[in-house]
Amino acid sequence: MGAPHLHLIATLPAALIACAAASSSLPCKASSLSAAERGSAAGDAAADALAHDIFKQLIEINTTNSVGNVTTAAAAMAQRFLAAGFAPADVVIAGPEERKKNLVVRLRGTGRHKPVLLIGHLDVVEARREDWSTDPFELIEKDGYFYGRGSADMKDGDAIMATALLRMKQEGYRPSRDIVLALTADEEGGCCNGPQWLLSHRRDLIDAGFVLNHDGASVISEHGVPQIFRLAATQKIYADYQLTVSNPGGHSSLPRPDNAIYQLAAGLLRVGHYQFPFELNTVTRAYFERMAAISTGDTAADMRAVARATPDPQAMERLAHEPSYGSLMRTTCVATRLDGGHANNALPQRAQAVVNCRILPGHSPEEVRGDLLRIIDDPQVAVHFIADNGEISDTAPERRGFPPPPLMPEVVQPLERVVAATWPGIPVIPVMIAGASDAVHTSAAGLPTYGVSGIAVDRDDVRMHGRDERVRVASFYTGNRFFYRYLKALTAH
Amino acid sequence: MHVRLIAAIATGVLATLGTAAAPSADRATRSDGAADRLAHDLYRELIEINTTDSVGNVSTASVALAQRFLAAGFPAADVMVLGPNERKKNLVVRLHGAGKHKPVLLIGHLDVVEARREDWSTDPFKLVEKDGYFYGRGALDMKAGDAIMATALLRMKQEGYRPSRDIVLALTADEEGGCCNGVEWLLRNHRELIDAEFVLNHDGLVGYSITSAHGVPQEFALSATEKMYADYQLTVTNKGGHSSLPRPDNAIYQLSQGLINIARYAFPVELNDVTRGYFERMAATRGGQTAADMRAITRTPPDAAAVGRLSREPELNSLMRTTCVATRLEGGHANNALPQRAQAMVNCRIVPGHSKEEVRQELIRVLNDPDIAVHYVADDGAVTERAPDQRALPPSPLLPQVVKPLESTVAAVWPGLPVVPFMNASATDGIYTRGAGLPTYGVAGIAVDADDMHAHGRDERVRVAAFYAGNQFFYRYLRAVTAH
Repeated sequence: MGAPHLHLIATLPAALIACAAASSSLPCKASSLSAAERGSAAGDAAADALAHDIFKQLIEINTTNSVGNVTTAAAAMAQRFLAAGFAPADVVIAGPEERKKNLVVRLRGTGRHKPVLLIGHLDVVEARREDWSTDPFELIEKDGYFYGRGSADMKDGDAIMATALLRMKQEGYRPSRDIVLALTADEEGGCCNGPQWLLSHRRDLIDAGFVLNHDGASVISEHGVPQIFRLAATQKIYADYQLTVSNPGGHSSLPRPDNAIYQLAAGLLRVGHYQFPFELNTVTRAYFERMAAISTGDTAADMRAVARATPDPQAMERLAHEPSYGSLMRTTCVATRLDGGHANNALPQRAQAVVNCRILPGHSPEEVRGDLLRIIDDPQVAVHFIADNGEISDTAPERRGFPPPPLMPEVVQPLERVVAATWPGIPVIPVMIAGASDAVHTSAAGLPTYGVSGIAVDRDDVRMHGRDERVRVASFYTGNRFFYRYLKALTAH
Repeated sequence: MHVRLIAAIATGVLATLGTAAAPSADRATRSDGAADRLAHDLYRELIEINTTDSVGNVSTASVALAQRFLAAGFPAADVMVLGPNERKKNLVVRLHGAGKHKPVLLIGHLDVVEARREDWSTDPFKLVEKDGYFYGRGALDMKAGDAIMATALLRMKQEGYRPSRDIVLALTADEEGGCCNGVEWLLRNHRELIDAEFVLNHDGLVGYSITSAHGVPQEFALSATEKMYADYQLTVTNKGGHSSLPRPDNAIYQLSQGLINIARYAFPVELNDVTRGYFERMAATRGGQTAADMRAITRTPPDAAAVGRLSREPELNSLMRTTCVATRLEGGHANNALPQRAQAMVNCRIVPGHSKEEVRQELIRVLNDPDIAVHYVADDGAVTERAPDQRALPPSPLLPQVVKPLESTVAAVWPGLPVVPFMNASATDGIYTRGAGLPTYGVAGIAVDADDMHAHGRDERVRVAAFYAGNQFFYRYLRAVTAH
């Protein structure tokens, strides 16, 4: 997924350490969980060892789009589930292409509720050995971190989710609903996005009451100390637009009254000055309400003021100075690239810009293209849509992000309990993320989707997609235990 | 470039027109025919020698022409091939005169800009005659002029003509760019070879002196000064960040605002003797509001409404003031990242009397944003914080020994065609000769249609009739200039 946006919040008491971390000397408030939910200490240790094995196995299978093979990883996981006693009918490998097969595993429950679907992508972005300090396709433990391509995005999560199902199976645990795990291809790009393919070809395999997406780190920490738990409950839609102005050009010694660069610049300034309308949804309103509770002073007051039924415009204005708040209140569009002209001594025949938009749920890329045309207000500035694969088209998709439904109590209540047990005092804050994860596909298919993981990332150590990608060792194991407990709490009744 | 509707004479009659300077109508017609054939031969020979900077060789062209002069009886001491580099040698030829005055120097460049066979309809390094045009790289810029000037000297030699002053012809390297600008090198290393009272430069953007419409000449522009060329790089930097979280400050928007400020700004109107003369003479050929406006802007102070109206015509605007225009844009590094840098190139054409640094300061003032850095980009691409302080030189005085023969020859060749002093908006080798204190005039005589000036482009061409008319004209003008 794209880099998470890290909200600036009032710093919370720092003495909060994951109770599962070996070094922890603080008492764990795990008492709020039942013994069944907690699992045994021996089971925890075995599950950590298993998660590590799977993590290592996955990192060492190259699943890049260029030379890697997602099917190899899917098959390796399938072997484990079959060996653990899952019925072959419940371990399905399916996909459109030899290198891009997905794994779908079902742990059968009592059938009291519709299933919960867990999604995680097996593919990773490219990594070149010469850019890295260690071999990106080896799991290396060093200085308290696990290093490797996919160590944070997201073979850690894949290993943790697989471990939870294997452990439950071994324990003979019977959830109140089926737990379906889909480990998929091409989230990072490529021909054959797994969730999209499954939704259109094997919806039956993965249909669910709601979806948990392990992509991204939910726990934001500072120097390893957790600060908040972000429940990703909706997302913006990502859209790129290309602005183009053409002109006959000519010799630069004879400037014409019309100039492609100036026309483009004027259009860009209008985009820069424009603010899309303020619009909160159930998630962003809850975000501001909960953030107000842990913020102080004017910021807290302003958050309350914008979360009201009739929001205060001045509070809006003040909060929007902080881009991470501003982006929650409205669709944003910003110019990110420029290109124009062909010679220093020739008038430009063409000037172009890319404008990147993050669209609030409920609006479509085509609607925003229309907004841009209206804002720019110059028929000579063409506005085209740029698809993810770089293709340019006259119009943009009409597909709208679903406005998020109210937060589901059966998701949030167990989450709050398990978070409180794992990281006492850490608030659970619903957030809207900037988009560009597989949640886009499941949400679009009408499945309420929540981003939940127990992995913590320091706000200044986001290395996804970069060199020397890593995750803290303690955070990996805490995340492993957290997810097992959360899944049990979720499926207890 | 500037198209004026005035009474015009068809070029077809030109070959039969004599001038006062020609010996007799019959003999002139015969030798005109021979001179046209000679010019055509030289033209073909030059076009078929590749003189691009990349793979061509200017020395080859210099040597080929030197052979012609030696064969025509020029003494070896008057035919020099010299330069700093094996591929970049210049030719300097002297036709000795009576020594009544200091010499006249003719300059022309032998090098051409690059041309790729696949971009052209014909082979750019072959002279192709087709549909009334000569095609080839350098057909216009400026192997036509080189051939015409060489032909004039060879013809004079053959006729035993003794000019009142030496005529020195310098055919040179790297006007279009490259290591070794020939005119600059000769001035620095062999000034004595090319020293002169004044210089005639056969190169120019403005038609080649004559702008025509559908082949019909409209006016004869005498280029007596030129603007100075300068590129500036505008840069805004920013911390950038993830594009899902737009910051209040953005490098692209800051740059855009700066560019809009430049677009809205007009440098002050500043006429000199040449451009004032241009507007006065052009007013006479125009009617109505435009004529009145041309007169109104030559007054002190110039009439603001008239300035506003004339400024809308790019060619008139360029004569009135320094111009700066954005020509290139670049910024950002990924669609989903806030730009860390945005840059633009601004190209300025500076009126004589001002320096590049002065214009840089003016740009900084107009941009009015300390976050926009304005650097100077030299011809070789080097970027520096400051620009040179050297000022563009004031126009060459309109010397009667240049202008009077020009007016009489133009009147004889193209009756009724006005001679208009002009400021060239683009740069030529004239900047070097003017810089060395030699009054320099752009005088050619090859008519080019205003909408057909593709000197550096594909399928560069010259009308066949315009080439021969230019050949006849230049010989006659050179005789008129050196008659007394």
